[in-house]
Amino acid sequence: MPEVLTAPPPVARRRGNPLRKASPRLVLMVLAVATLIAIALFMTVDLKGAIGYALKLRGIRVGAMLLVAIAVGLSTLMFQTVTSNRLLTPSIMGFDALYLLIQTSLVFTLGSSTLLTAAPALKFGIEVVLMVAFSALLYRWLFTGGSGSLHLMLLVGIVIGTLFRGFSSLLQRLMEPSDFLILQDLFFASFNQVEPVLLGISAVIIGVIAVIAWRLRHSFDVLALGRETAINLGVDHRRTVSLVLVMCAVLVAVSTALVGPVTFFGLLVVSIAYQLVRDFSHAWLLPITVLLGAVTLIGGQLILEQVFGFNTALSIIIEFIGGLLFIYLLLKGSLK
Amino acid sequence: MKISFRTLLGTVAAGASLIALTACGGSSEPAKAEGKTVSITHAQGTTEVPVNPEKVFTFDLGVLDSMEALGIEADGVPDAQFPESLAKYKDAKFEKIGSMKEPNFEDIAAAAPDLIIITGRTAGSYKQFSEDMKIPTVDLSVDASKPMESFKEQAANLGKIFDAEDKVATALTDIDTKATETKARASNAGKGLIVLTSGGEVTAYSAGSRFGLIHDVLGVATAADVKHDGAHGEAVSFEFIKEKNPDTLYVVDRDGAMGTAGEAADAVLDNELVNSTNAAKNGKIVKLDANSWYMVGYGLNNLPKMIGEVAQAL
Amino acid sequence: MLAPALSRTAATEDSSAVAVRRTRGPGEKTALALGALGVLVLAVISIFVGVTNVSAPKLLAGDLDAWQMLWVSRLPRTLAVVLAGTAVAVAGLIMQLMVRNRFVEPSTVGTVESATLGILVVTVAFPAAPLLAKMGIASLFALGGTALFLAVLSRLPLRNTLIVPIVGIMLGGVIGSVTTFFAYRYDLLQTLSNWMIGDFSGVLRGRYELLWIVAALTIVGYIAADRFTVAGMGADFTTNLGMNYQAIMRLGLVIVSLISAVVVTTVGAVPFLGLIVPNIVSLLFGDNLRRAVPWTAIFGAGFVLICDIIGRTIRFPYEVPVGMVMSVLGAIVFLALLLKTRTRNA
Repeated sequence: MPEVLTAPPPVARRRGNPLRKASPRLVLMVLAVATLIAIALFMTVDLKGAIGYALKLRGIRVGAMLLVAIAVGLSTLMFQTVTSNRLLTPSIMGFDALYLLIQTSLVFTLGSSTLLTAAPALKFGIEVVLMVAFSALLYRWLFTGGSGSLHLMLLVGIVIGTLFRGFSSLLQRLMEPSDFLILQDLFFASFNQVEPVLLGISAVIIGVIAVIAWRLRHSFDVLALGRETAINLGVDHRRTVSLVLVMCAVLVAVSTALVGPVTFFGLLVVSIAYQLVRDFSHAWLLPITVLLGAVTLIGGQLILEQVFGFNTALSIIIEFIGGLLFIYLLLKGSLK
Repeated sequence: MKISFRTLLGTVAAGASLIALTACGGSSEPAKAEGKTVSITHAQGTTEVPVNPEKVFTFDLGVLDSMEALGIEADGVPDAQFPESLAKYKDAKFEKIGSMKEPNFEDIAAAAPDLIIITGRTAGSYKQFSEDMKIPTVDLSVDASKPMESFKEQAANLGKIFDAEDKVATALTDIDTKATETKARASNAGKGLIVLTSGGEVTAYSAGSRFGLIHDVLGVATAADVKHDGAHGEAVSFEFIKEKNPDTLYVVDRDGAMGTAGEAADAVLDNELVNSTNAAKNGKIVKLDANSWYMVGYGLNNLPKMIGEVAQAL
Repeated sequence: MLAPALSRTAATEDSSAVAVRRTRGPGEKTALALGALGVLVLAVISIFVGVTNVSAPKLLAGDLDAWQMLWVSRLPRTLAVVLAGTAVAVAGLIMQLMVRNRFVEPSTVGTVESATLGILVVTVAFPAAPLLAKMGIASLFALGGTALFLAVLSRLPLRNTLIVPIVGIMLGGVIGSVTTFFAYRYDLLQTLSNWMIGDFSGVLRGRYELLWIVAALTIVGYIAADRFTVAGMGADFTTNLGMNYQAIMRLGLVIVSLISAVVVTTVGAVPFLGLIVPNIVSLLFGDNLRRAVPWTAIFGAGFVLICDIIGRTIRFPYEVPVGMVMSVLGAIVFLALLLKTRTRNA
């Protein structure tokens, strides 16, 4: 019989995983230290030449990775909490497809050189607004408060995503190969070419949402118990869920506009967080998820650069591992 | 939208150039062998560049091709698939400065080249190089809307930088002569159609596109006025090719260019409909060398080769 | 409440369809004949749509060029559309019967993505491989992907109607990201994207004949249709009726995977078709399976014919790939179906 992972699972059910016995406090400490070590190594290993410049460069990259870790980790965790599942992520709702469509249309209409030299803040603004507007429309149109409608919303998002992909592939077919070359660079998330200006803007937006999420942490614990229970315990379910969905939309939009699409990264981090933490209170889950994301990204980038010589984009590897994990979780039957 | 983008670009470029200028003025670069600098106006502003810079990094195959023609080697190149004509750059003695898409900023900063030449795919890194690293950087992108004119400007810029203006002028004159000769022959060679094959399907391109050189500069009459706003093509059927009945069919094999024949252009185009066109009857289906046409593109060595390919078929 | 796209699709058959709704017996045959006639009318229209001028008077006058065009280009294209449309729609129906879910079809369970991965692997490893070899490998991959989905499905504790396609699509996404990654490494992304988008513009005599394979598969699917329904009820139920559950599932798996792989390699992906057509058929005719299969075939063929005719005329003389038209119309119809489900559940 497949086990159903519901929150919270009976503690005694697991065997042979010593990590699960660790207290969340310890896990948090270890992760915090690991993150700091990763950052320190990342900032200092193999420094040469123009040290001041290299440090600034690495600082920007670390900043981008931290922001993405926060945005993706938080949005996935919150999303999974309000949709009461452990498998879906907000980014599968047609976000990637929309991002690709925006990029493709820009290259198609303005040419690739324009895209690369365009004012980054303007482009970033347009992308975020479009993506948030898209998800807000989707929610407004569909969200009626039942749990079934969330699935419906997801499916509608996915279908619209297919529609976007159809448009994108048509434009890609008509595009010249040299323009397409530039376009395809945008299909994969990259932490190496982030505009410092955007970093600041994103940091403010993500920071604000992170604070709100932190203050909602107790509501999340209640929400995780299911809709009826939450309502009985006095949580304004509909309002909170709507708020969370909007927050998720903004987080995903900002992160996608900043570095590019990441689909399975959030799933990977949140799944590991649930494996590590015995206590399912969001006061622990939130910071642990974020730190895990930071360690994964920064450590991963470090290993890539030092061991593999920078040949493969980190995001692709993380996506792949996340994808494998997803299939594994599916086969284990951890879906409600 | 378009206009606002354009204006924005203008402002950004102007701002960048101002900053670049002041930055250059204030930078404490050690004097070069000759100590002379030349001011280069390019796609993203104006930059003071040392004449005959010792250490040159570039990301563009077309620029490498032009440098080759001037007898100059770049010192840093991307880690890329180099075509036959530039195969020597695979050698490890040339510093690899990132991928075609992502410059390795730290290595570049550490290597402190005297000049970086960027184009299209790396144009977005201009600010990084010129402002953050204070390295003289020029964007020698060829403007797709007026490729020949733009290419001549860029070539002249290279001439100024490498103190080879006469050489460049001669090369450009040769190209012009070649183009004029070809044009004269093209005027009575009937109509041409440019198609790109990929995945077993056909896309047609026309004047004004990247392959538009054939119509725009070399004066081959268009068999089909593939309307375009921007440099993209249109999906067409084989019936379209038959109906337009070009006297010459220029083929760019997208899949063949990548070294993996997804479905070679010959196989795609070898069918009853295409074979009943004048182009096929007269043996005028010209397979353009995809490497030269879009991997390398406009370069002092490569452009004559491209023109030659078209001329040969007339 | 059906979308405009749908009423257009059904325009030819609709009158007859409504007339025979829930009737049995001789009326049924008449309706089917009318439906088939509708497809025939569309096919004739399709034969006379194109860049070159092929018209009935020209053909009658014995214009050799026009006849050549008919044999070489128009007829093959129309046949390819009919074959692919029929097969993909029926494959979707079989898939839906097997897993008892209205929202699955080859493109929402990872079958199409797996086939694409197969094509990519062949293209990279053996660039010169003949089309048949590509198809074979694509079929193997499609089998693997579909089997993986079924394995996942059998472990889903709660079969929420909407969760099944979501899981399938995400699974397809994982497989798709692997494909994208390798295509990117080998600089084949644009080629792959061109290859994948469903497009009949390259169809000529000698380039679509492999689609007859799917015609045979469709017929097998028709003969075995009731068994898939039984298998959809579960293993125990099937065994109690004295049938071999595993064998039926395997058969369905093979039919669906092969149809998908053959269609993907010859014309590309035809999104949503296998999903919307069976759903529309069940809305119109209820769930009598024997009746559903021929109607699914008729509607599938009709819908793709309409999309392809639109694709050829909307930006004449240039083409809009059928996959693109399909994404738009299919998405609209699919959303309409989804929202219908929602109002019913509400």
